[in-house]
Amino acid sequence: MCDQILLVDDEEGICKILSISLQDSGYEVFTACSGEDALEIYFKKKPPIVLTDIKMPGMDGIELLRRIKQENPETEVIMITGHGDMNLAIKSLKHEATDFVTKPINDDVLEIALKRAKERILMRRQLREYTENLERLVEEKTRKLLDAERMAAVGETVSGLAHAIKNIAGSLKGGVFVLDKGLELDNKQYLREGWRMVKGNVDKIRNLSMDLLNYGKSTEIRCQISDPNQPPQEVFKLIEPQAKEHGIILEAKLDPNLEPFLFDSEGIYRCVLTICSNALDSFRAASLMTENGDPIERMKEEKRVVIESRKTENWAVEYRISDTGAGMTEKVRDKIFQSFFSTKGAEGTGIGLMMAQKIIKQHHGSIEVESELGKGATFIIRLPKNPNPL
Amino acid sequence: MEKEKHKILVVDDELDMRVYISTVLETSGYRAVVTKNGKEGVETAVKINPDLIVLDVMMPGEGGVLMYRTLKTDPKLKKIPVVMLSAVKKEIFFHYLKMLNVKMENNISEPEAYLEKPPDHEDLLKVIKILLK
Ligand SMILES: Nc1ncnc2c1ncn2[C@@H]1O[C@H](COP(=O)(O)OP(=O)(O)O)[C@@H](O)[C@H]1O
Repeated sequence: MCDQILLVDDEEGICKILSISLQDSGYEVFTACSGEDALEIYFKKKPPIVLTDIKMPGMDGIELLRRIKQENPETEVIMITGHGDMNLAIKSLKHEATDFVTKPINDDVLEIALKRAKERILMRRQLREYTENLERLVEEKTRKLLDAERMAAVGETVSGLAHAIKNIAGSLKGGVFVLDKGLELDNKQYLREGWRMVKGNVDKIRNLSMDLLNYGKSTEIRCQISDPNQPPQEVFKLIEPQAKEHGIILEAKLDPNLEPFLFDSEGIYRCVLTICSNALDSFRAASLMTENGDPIERMKEEKRVVIESRKTENWAVEYRISDTGAGMTEKVRDKIFQSFFSTKGAEGTGIGLMMAQKIIKQHHGSIEVESELGKGATFIIRLPKNPNPL
Repeated sequence: MEKEKHKILVVDDELDMRVYISTVLETSGYRAVVTKNGKEGVETAVKINPDLIVLDVMMPGEGGVLMYRTLKTDPKLKKIPVVMLSAVKKEIFFHYLKMLNVKMENNISEPEAYLEKPPDHEDLLKVIKILLK
């Protein structure tokens, strides 16, 4: 392939002589005696090397060079110049001619120019193969890495799950035992306790499987133009009775002037719900104790959870969910978004915040927490106007 | 009058476990006293001097391990047999305990019995019966 040459010269004599000598050297030669002819042949034959006179009537060598380079920059174009064509020669180099030879053409000089052109062609081809291989290599390695990472994530998920399920199964078994004793001994208290345990653990199983379903689902968000106040409103309605039961003041401060925008309403509902449930949990007796069983002094006496929405600069909406509950230490705060991190023992799965973070990331939003032990916690979610900035 | 029941102290942070274990014990003729963390556990142990302690070592943080250490380094409480409950396998737990020993430089004896959580009620009763003989 690299042995085809298109030879262009308006002087027929030169064309003939040169083509004979090139054929002798083993090239397949096409000839043309004008720029226009040459271009036509070039498009038909796509020769890798073009040897052209610079000065020609009509389309000159430089214009031909320009057109050919435009079509395929890798074509090696060697210019033939006469004496005193130095300016043209330099101009041709600017248009990335490979080389130039001067008339009268010395066979040795031409041979060297051709050899260099062929070397360049060869080099380029090798380089291309090499980079293609490299790309393939990188792609393969990346895929393997990704697979490994995914496998690790699955492993982590499975072992975390196995633990959670074992816990629930254990409590369920315990509940059934207590229930059995209640029936056997006709003991009302055992019956009541056993029943509560069974019911509670069935709830836990349900929550876990919901979390898992969401976990699997989470890879994509489904965005629609929606009202940003809808998710917090629904969460508010859902958890209000529970808050009341535990003497917690639940308050919603939703900005009525927020404009609808594109986001995944269900996903954000899940995030807000997780954070609000955690906020309610932060008032539970177990949450208000350190690892050693010492009580955590709360800074504020009042049990209050506030859900806020508002517009801020650069973001479509900012949600703030704050509680006056137990708060957390720095150590805990650093880990809360990790999968299966939970300080709630069998009561927690440690999936909630991890999931919430995933969903927010997919919106290209941000989720932050501010908290100190005893000083409650504030979670801040910010969502951009457009979930797909690309 | 029936003879004095054996007093067993149950220490577990999970309500369900406390109810389950105390039910197992009560329905088999023991008196169960429950507490939900290590601190209360030690205080109660000092106060009621139980015949045996069922302790969940895996309570949040090091609550369980700390309580065990306190029990086994206190000259009076030391003699009370402990049935240890844990969600991890025995070997893993003892490895953990060993590492703790290195830190403290005085040996803590092994618990009198070790059961993986949740314990089967028959296993638990069998172990307790042997320890209380
Ligand atoms: N409002 C809060 N106050 C104090 N601690 C919190 C709060 N929200 C989350 N946490 C901490 O973050 C942990 C992880 O939360 P999450 O991922 O939702 O899992 P789970 O609620 O199942 O434990 C909780 O166990 C708790 O320690």
